[in-house]
Amino acid sequence: MKKKLVEYMGSSTVAQQFTYKVKLDAKNEKIRRYAPLILLIVMTIICASSQKSFFTWGNIVNLMYQMSIPLVISVGLTYVLLLGSIDLSIEGVMGFAGSLVAYLVLNRTNSNNFGIWGIIFVIILCTLVGAFTGVLHVKARIASFIVTYAIGCIMTGFAVLVYNSNPIQVSEPLFDSISRGSFLQIPYITLISFLIFLIGAVILKYTAFGRAVYAIGDNEVATRSAGINVDLVKIKVFALCACTACLAGILQCVRLKIGQSSLGTDQMFPVVTAIVVGGGSLYGGKGGAFQSFIGVLIYTELANWLTLMGVDPYFKEVILGLIIIIAVTLTIERNRQTISK
Amino acid sequence: MTKKLNLSDISYSFSKYMYIVSIVLVFLVFTIMSPQFLSLYSLQNLALETAPMLLMSCGISFVIFTGGIDLGTGSIASCTCVITGLYVSQVGNSIILLMLVVGCVMGVINGILVSKLKLPSFIVTLCTTNFWNFVALRLSPSGSQIIPLNKRSMVNWATKDVIGFPVIFWIALAITALLYFIQQYTVFGKTILSVGANTRATRMAGVDTDKAQIAAFVICDACCALAGAFYAYKLKSAVPTVGLDLNLLSIAAVALGGASMVGGRGSVLHTLVGVITITAVTSGLEIIGCNALWKDIIIGMILILAVCLNSDSKGRDLIIK
Amino acid sequence: MKELLFETKGIGKTYGTNTVLHDIDMKVYSGEVIGLIGENGAGKSTLMKLICGAEKPSMGSMYLRGEEYHSNSILESNHQGIGMVFQEQSLVGALTIAQNIFLGREKKYSKAGFVNWAAMNQDAKKTLGQVGLNFDPNKKVRDLDFAARQMVEIAKVLNVVTESAEGHAVILLDEPTTVLSNEEIENLFKQIERMKKEGNAVIFISHRLDEVLKVTDRIYVFKDGACTADMNTKDADESVLYEKMVGRSTTGEFYHEDRQTAPSDDVVLEVNDLSLFGIFNHVGFKLKKGEVLGLCGVEGSGKEALCSVLMGDEGQTSGTMSMDGREVTFKNPCKARRSGIICVPKERRDEGIIGILSISDNIVISHMEQISSRGYVSGKKMKKISSDWVQKLKIKCVSINDRINQLSGGNAQKVIFARALESGCHILILNHPTRGVDVGSKEEIYSLIRDITEKGNSVILLGDTLDECIGMSSRIIVLKDGVISGEFDFPAGEKPSQFDIVKMMM
Repeated sequence: MKKKLVEYMGSSTVAQQFTYKVKLDAKNEKIRRYAPLILLIVMTIICASSQKSFFTWGNIVNLMYQMSIPLVISVGLTYVLLLGSIDLSIEGVMGFAGSLVAYLVLNRTNSNNFGIWGIIFVIILCTLVGAFTGVLHVKARIASFIVTYAIGCIMTGFAVLVYNSNPIQVSEPLFDSISRGSFLQIPYITLISFLIFLIGAVILKYTAFGRAVYAIGDNEVATRSAGINVDLVKIKVFALCACTACLAGILQCVRLKIGQSSLGTDQMFPVVTAIVVGGGSLYGGKGGAFQSFIGVLIYTELANWLTLMGVDPYFKEVILGLIIIIAVTLTIERNRQTISK
Repeated sequence: MTKKLNLSDISYSFSKYMYIVSIVLVFLVFTIMSPQFLSLYSLQNLALETAPMLLMSCGISFVIFTGGIDLGTGSIASCTCVITGLYVSQVGNSIILLMLVVGCVMGVINGILVSKLKLPSFIVTLCTTNFWNFVALRLSPSGSQIIPLNKRSMVNWATKDVIGFPVIFWIALAITALLYFIQQYTVFGKTILSVGANTRATRMAGVDTDKAQIAAFVICDACCALAGAFYAYKLKSAVPTVGLDLNLLSIAAVALGGASMVGGRGSVLHTLVGVITITAVTSGLEIIGCNALWKDIIIGMILILAVCLNSDSKGRDLIIK
Repeated sequence: MKELLFETKGIGKTYGTNTVLHDIDMKVYSGEVIGLIGENGAGKSTLMKLICGAEKPSMGSMYLRGEEYHSNSILESNHQGIGMVFQEQSLVGALTIAQNIFLGREKKYSKAGFVNWAAMNQDAKKTLGQVGLNFDPNKKVRDLDFAARQMVEIAKVLNVVTESAEGHAVILLDEPTTVLSNEEIENLFKQIERMKKEGNAVIFISHRLDEVLKVTDRIYVFKDGACTADMNTKDADESVLYEKMVGRSTTGEFYHEDRQTAPSDDVVLEVNDLSLFGIFNHVGFKLKKGEVLGLCGVEGSGKEALCSVLMGDEGQTSGTMSMDGREVTFKNPCKARRSGIICVPKERRDEGIIGILSISDNIVISHMEQISSRGYVSGKKMKKISSDWVQKLKIKCVSINDRINQLSGGNAQKVIFARALESGCHILILNHPTRGVDVGSKEEIYSLIRDITEKGNSVILLGDTLDECIGMSSRIIVLKDGVISGEFDFPAGEKPSQFDIVKMMM
């Protein structure tokens, strides 16, 4: 690359070099934009070749089902990553939401039977927790990684407290019908997840709030000067992320019919990897709902394929770790003056 | 030049004297306690409990001083605990040195990824965490494995009492002193805080910031590896889940010591005070019969409080993400 | 009868004890284009900042459409009808052109939270059309090149200002043509004409005198924080403008010219065919022992980047540097320092001082390895070294343990100097060393520089003003558009005129 530049340099003026460099950067940018799609196609081909029944409706539905929970998590996480922050509390909130909802609906441990009101209560509570996290981040000027890490630990603690070390078994008929029901062979859980994703995507693309998230991640100073209430937007984003984590936790509980803190374990990191692979940037301002969708799809196919190949499930996490490091290195941006250390 | 008293001045003073707040907290906890708490036996127990934590907290302090974070400390400890527990009976005590080397290698990997590739440290350490977890769980898939009784003689020396306190504790104390010496009196130690305060300016001043960051991770991970080995000696078994809580506790300890979470301010000695505080709080909770499930919640809240009080944004108007 | 749209009376700005602007009386009538010229540091940018609301004036008053004008923020100024197109662009790359133009004002297009992007795009297209642009308003700003971004920014400011204000607007353009091609410059001038016709006023800063002469109606010339001339463009020509812009205001004593040492013949640094792709090309020179080499050039000439490469912050694309006959490559500033090159950076707050550390820590940081013996650093030794420097450079502080960010600009700069001098390097690159420093400290710094060269060390100086550069240097290299356009070699007493150098710079 440098050799190419040196050759060009010999015969040109600085101004010509500058335009050349700008064109080169634009070309690289284009490649980066289509890389995730190419990756998806490659991954699909790999999967299809190891699995005869890959393109059947049944298998596609299965894929969608497996995507469900990560997709819901990716909604909130996309917003947070667009800001350039991170939310390490997702696993804690998921575990807490799942445990608390199990506690409140019909279950084998206590005599509660709040049904739908229990679910609504949990959603509101978790959203408030997220808002609180946002307030701490913005007003006390604490970096997102540390404040969400602490809140995550606290929420995990509360989760275990709720079920007092004895995981709660759910016997709520509503959960039963949701987890068993399907439409056109697509399970309700999948439909609900995709609906949540759609809502999140629409808000991101079609509201001023959504655009403000992009703006803050890309150029916070300019956004503030434009008169946008950056603090409020950030608080809303963290509230939203906690809300989607909560929804994901509730769906997990519906699926597994059990309430315990491990509902959230190992759920966040794969989604972060998925978003980055899909084209999102850890530094903010880049990415979106569509990119995250592609990323989650790639991740799901990869996870499936690894399981098919008989790879150790713990090793899967290692591979994901490697992937994210490679992905972030390839999309590295210089000249970033943030506090991300 | 008149100085107006404002919130950032107050929080700056707070953070300078945070460790005093911590000591006060410890005394408070003690007074709530029954006097048996201060008996030699429980202090010995406390010392045994604290030793590995102390190592980890002092190690992670260095990374936090440079403005980074290491979210994999617990996993490293788990990993080395398992390896030590499983193989000490065959390899002998030299396994401790081996773990130290392993820790250094881990630190170099983390450090290079953070400094050369400019990746955020929380992501890097989350990634490498997966790897250490994998190793720990792979080697000991069915839970803890105790060191066979006939080989116990090899490891018993570590928990034996010398001058009233277990050997591990003295070793941990010695290493803390060494780390303090490094921080206060060596070139490297001086540049660490500088790197955390303003990496760019430190680089422009002609300091090798990459090397400093790598060295910080090496110290951190080596200490964590050592702490894991000590856990194996203490628990006399290979425990793959020993590190689960440790990360939170060690970070909270550093915060309670008044260090700034975004780097530039802190001291190993103050972290020592933070460790004592954390241990006192956790033991105290046990003694007053508090439900063990509240431990994480309370520690998490203490961490948030400590970081809020420490938050020193004066002179730093970088955008916080 | 033209309306007096905007007026300043005795406006000025002081930072601490440093007065950068004083007694400016300016009148701006509607429908005219005012040009502001002057060399770097003359005060034009400061005046712009005061007018557009980025900073508050320390003295004097401003009037907009006859009424007193105050502003606490750029946004407020926009609402009153004054808008500035910044050099460092304030667009958000991740958003589209339309979204940028209406950033913060989406309310009028939104219903129940959802924005009607189609309607916004339509309005954006209209606005773009008004400045002669036909970009697709749905295109993301980060996909545009610099010139396009500049034009979008102009469109944005125009829209914001003319929409919210009642009456004519004042538009400020800060060096808008630096990134534009000739065609684009023509278009810009057309837009300025149009703004004029609509009754708005335009204030135009540029260092390209030919452009200023072409497009403006009246010209204000700035020098050393004051206005030296106010003339109709038709009465002006380049030589008259140069004369008003430059010319000695400070005597040779200020720069301690009597202590200017003649450089020896030893070459301490040789630069051969150094190029940084897209920034500078084929730069070559020799730095001699004991000399002060001045680097002159306007913004964008490549001198800052050359600085970065010399001190090891960036690697060159091709070309070599050699010291003592051996070729050297610097992977980072640490290696450069070990070879003997250190820099006093331009951005003191971001790249110079380590804010929350003490004065003492800041001074010794570059020399740690040498202060220590076998890795051990003695606190006592550090204290002595710092105290010595504080005394020698007359740094005003309560104690050496004070946090450095509590010091004034001049004192903080002296600490950075102490650090550079303590480092033991024999080549010092000084990047705008007297920026934001009061006059008293300035003189002390000049004296310091003479001390440095007397001891046999060499200095590469990027001067804050041309005056300073000429006064301090024994040799000057002029950069223009990334290449060396001129070289001047002179002993004290036979200094070149600013006119000669400015000609090469622009």
